[in-house]
Formats: sequence, structure tokens, C-alpha cells
Amino acid sequence: MNRLVALIKREYWENKGAFRTTPMVIGGIYILLSLMFIFTFNHFDNEFQSLKELTRFLSQTEVGLRSDIIYGVSVAVFPSLFTLVLAFVVFFYLLGSLYDDRKDRSILFWKSLPASDTLTMGSKLLSAMVVAPLIFWVIYVLTHIVIMLIFSVVVLSLGENPWTLFLSIGNPFKAWSMVLMSYLAQSIWALPLYGWLMLVSSFAPRIPLLFAVMPPVVFAVLQIWIEFLQTFTLKKNLFGVIGDWFANSPLILSADNHGNDKLEISLGVPLTETFGHEATLGNMLDRLFSTHMLIGLAVAAVFLGAALWLRRRATES
Amino acid sequence: MNNVIEAHGLTKRYKGTVAVDNIDLQIPSGRIVGLIGPNGAGKTTALKAILGLANYEGELSVLGKNPAKDRAALMEDVCFIADVAVLPRWIRVWQLIELTENIHPRFSREKCLQYLESTKVTLDQRVKQLSKGMVVQLHLAIVMAIDVKLLVLDEPTLGLDILFRKKFYTNLLNDYFDEERTIIITTHQVEEIEHILSDLIFIQDGRIALDCSMEEVQENYIELIVAPDKAAAARDLQPLYERELFGRFIFLYKNSNREQLKSLGELHTPSVADLFVATMSGGAA
Repeated sequence: MNRLVALIKREYWENKGAFRTTPMVIGGIYILLSLMFIFTFNHFDNEFQSLKELTRFLSQTEVGLRSDIIYGVSVAVFPSLFTLVLAFVVFFYLLGSLYDDRKDRSILFWKSLPASDTLTMGSKLLSAMVVAPLIFWVIYVLTHIVIMLIFSVVVLSLGENPWTLFLSIGNPFKAWSMVLMSYLAQSIWALPLYGWLMLVSSFAPRIPLLFAVMPPVVFAVLQIWIEFLQTFTLKKNLFGVIGDWFANSPLILSADNHGNDKLEISLGVPLTETFGHEATLGNMLDRLFSTHMLIGLAVAAVFLGAALWLRRRATES
Repeated sequence: MNNVIEAHGLTKRYKGTVAVDNIDLQIPSGRIVGLIGPNGAGKTTALKAILGLANYEGELSVLGKNPAKDRAALMEDVCFIADVAVLPRWIRVWQLIELTENIHPRFSREKCLQYLESTKVTLDQRVKQLSKGMVVQLHLAIVMAIDVKLLVLDEPTLGLDILFRKKFYTNLLNDYFDEERTIIITTHQVEEIEHILSDLIFIQDGRIALDCSMEEVQENYIELIVAPDKAAAARDLQPLYERELFGRFIFLYKNSNREQLKSLGELHTPSVADLFVATMSGGAA
């Protein structure tokens, strides 16, 4: 256990820039934009006149709708940049996880420590599945709090009550928990991808990105072509499978009001009908306890097993 | 179990070429073994097998463990430095120390800091900020602070100046080495380690060309320096090797009659380097 913690710490040290600085920069940008937004109003407005109007208008909208909008912004719109960047960070982290130390030969040092390859790979997978999402989440929550404070001060200075206007009805705790749950659910849902990335990372002689992307693309294109030659139709192929996998993700990816008053927050992209897309914990669990997930786990196990096998032999030549 | 390393028929093939060819090896504990051979002789390959970094054919047992299967467990009792400085470049010195402390049960932070005191390495530096020599110093400080039964040093002092090299070997002998430990060293600077070695293994083309203790070297091998007029007589006594130096001839013999040789000229114990050259050119074993 001690060793696992030490190894995870090592991953954090090595990737501090991606794991910690990156979300802090996003948070900083959000806070900066909020302040710029307020100063812009101040600059063009006579004593926040139009901001005052806006607050008054907001305070007069119906509580249910207001609560929906504020919750929707907190759970879907606001974290979207965090979510997107987190996906990139984890992608490239895993792609380099078993490659970088082979390239600079520091693998010889890591292998001189009494930590098994399984433990080392476990620490890397856990960093991608838990550590990175958790840090992004904490910084998202902190940024959210700071921005709510900034706007509370503004609203207070305009003579309105921030508590009744948005603080008490936005349900931030629910938004935060939903985002955290969706991050962790996504970590499990994405295991086949993570396994694939680690496998590529452990065998690619160079440019792991190319080795990660080319085989599935070539495979899918061949699949489509052969299918087309044989049946003159375009049936399901690897692209479709990956597309469905992405659309069914338990991440909170979209918010849409469909032209009516109700704001709809969705898990993944609501294009498929395999799972419910409403952003609820039930729907996340639905995905995790599905046959799809079971197949995904089997695929992930094959990829990870192969990656481990290669890792054991990484110092052969 | 007395032997730290025991190998029977150890063989390693790479796509058609044989890097290590059917080696038998016993290294008891409490020895300092010099593993010496030309480039590409199979030294590093053999060490990789011993350290669980590569698969092999044949039987191999290191501290009673199978290195191919139990690398992680074996590394609790074995430490190694590979032939190039391989510390991760991004890591800071204090992080490296903390990490090793948390992962290695036999690491002493105190000792490590003590070794580092005599260097210019500071705790907050990243490895990539250190000079090549300082990286080696750091790596050696870490390794020497780990209390293991087997220490493998593959070209440990590459890139270090002569002062530090001397100090390192003195430390190794005085502070580190004892009856419980075994050290295997490979290096091209044979002269620097020959006085600390207890055993000598020459390896050539994947085979062991010579495997004996330093006492055996002293007992069995003898160097004779003669003037040119005695050269023909010396050559008749079947030397393993001969060379010419400042107009005098130097011959190397194995198990020869000392009295007979003495009548021809000066006798010396050959240096490891000379013995190595003689062996590699096809004689001594």
C-alpha cells in the first residue's frame, strides 16, 4: 500500500503541470473572465444600470425555471471546459505513461526498485482514473465557489439578495456531486480506451499518438470498404462502435432547452437509445452495470494484460 | 546457500545472434567480482538476466530467487546502476530520495544525505539541471545508502573525474563492502578497480574466458621482462603472450617454473589489464 501511494505520488510529481497547473489555469481564466465581465459593465454603464436591470429581471423570473438554469450552468456549462481538458490530459498522460521512461531509459532505474510491473501499471492507471479527475474536480468546485462569491458581492452591491436570487436555489452541492460521479463513472466507462492507450504506450517504438490512432482508423476503413463491396451497404463498423461508446458516455456533456422552458442536461450525446440520457445517478449506474460495460471491461482486460506483458519485456534489448 | 549467483547453461539469444552462450557461473557471497570484456562481449546482457531485466534460457538463481519471475522481490536485496545514467530527468533530488525511501525497505536517508554532502548536488535541483558527473554521484549516493546483498555496477564511474572515482572506490571498499555483500563491477578502467577486486571474470563472445580469484592470478600467472638477447629463450618456454616495450620483451606465462624464468630476467605479477589483453588475444584460459 505504501509503495502504491509512493508510486502515485511519483506520477503526480512528474505530471504536476498537466494534473494541477492546467485546471488551475482554467479556473483562473474563468475568474478573470468573470471580473472582466463585471468591469465591462462598469465601464459602459452608468453605475451598473443594465446589470441592475438584469438582476431585477432575473429575480422576477419564476423560481423553478431560475433554479433549473442555475443548476444547469453549474453542472453542465461551467464544468465543460474542465471536462474537455481533463479528457485531453488523461489521453496524453496514458499515451506517455509506459513510453516516456522507455525513451529516456529511466525505466532501468524504475526497474531497479522493488516495485512490481503490475503495481507500477496500477499506479499509472489509478492516476488516470482517480487522481487527475479528482484534482480537476476540486479546482472546478473551488473556482465555482469563488465565482459565486464574486457575483454575490456584485449582487449585494446592487441592492439585491444573492441568497434568494441564486445561492439558495442553484443546488451547488448536487451539481458538484453529479460532476464528481460522472467523472468517476467515465473513468470506468473509458477503461477500454485507457487500456488501449497503455498498450500502445508500452509497445510504440516512437510517436505513440500515431500508433494509437492509425490502427483503429485503418481497421475501420477496411471494414467499411469490405462491407460495401460485399453487400453494397454501410452497416455497423468500428467507427460506429466508438461513436456509440462516446455518445453513451456517463459524462455530463450537453445542456439543451429544446426551445421550451425546461433545460435538459444530458449524459453523453443524446443520439442513441441504448441508455437513458437524462443526467441522473441511476442512468450512470445503468451504464456501469450493463452488458456493454462488461464487454468493455473484457476488452480493457485484454489490452491491459498485453501492456503488462510488454512492460515486463521492455528492457530486453 | 553460499552462492549469491548460480547459473548453469545460461544462454541469451537475440534474433539469431547468441549474446550469452551457455555460461556456468558461481559467485559466492562476500566477493568483489570484476566482470571484464570487450564491447559487445555479453557483459550487459548477462547482467540483465541476473537482474531480471531480460528473459534467458538455462538455469539461473540469484539469492535463491528466479530473477525472470521475481524481479520485484529480488530488488529488495539487489541494487544496480546501469551503464548510462538513467535517473529520470524531471525528478527533483528530494523527490528521488523520498520515493526511494518509501519504496525500498532498506534505504537509509541519513546515509544518502551524508554521501551527497561531499558533492555539489542540492536537494531542490532537478536531475536535468545536474551535470553528467553529478547525476552519477547522486545515483551512487542512493545506491550506497541501500543495504542490499548484491550490488551490480555496470560502468558506474563513467563521466566522473579521477578524484571522485578514487574516492568512490575507497568508500565502496571501506564503508560499504563486508562479508555479507557481493559486488559485481564492469568497467573499462580496469587499472582503477584491480586492487579492490577479489575475483576476476573475463567474458568474450558470450563465453567465459577466465574465471578465477585474484590470489589465483598471483599464483598462476607470471610476467617476465627480458633483454632482447634472452627473448628467444623466453619464447621457447611457451608464453601466452608477448609484447615489446622500450626495447625489452615482456612475456606472460601460466603455471610456469619460477626458478627457470627468474634466470632469464625480472618477474612480476601481471596487471589485470595485461592479463586481459593476453586472454582476449587467445592465450590464457
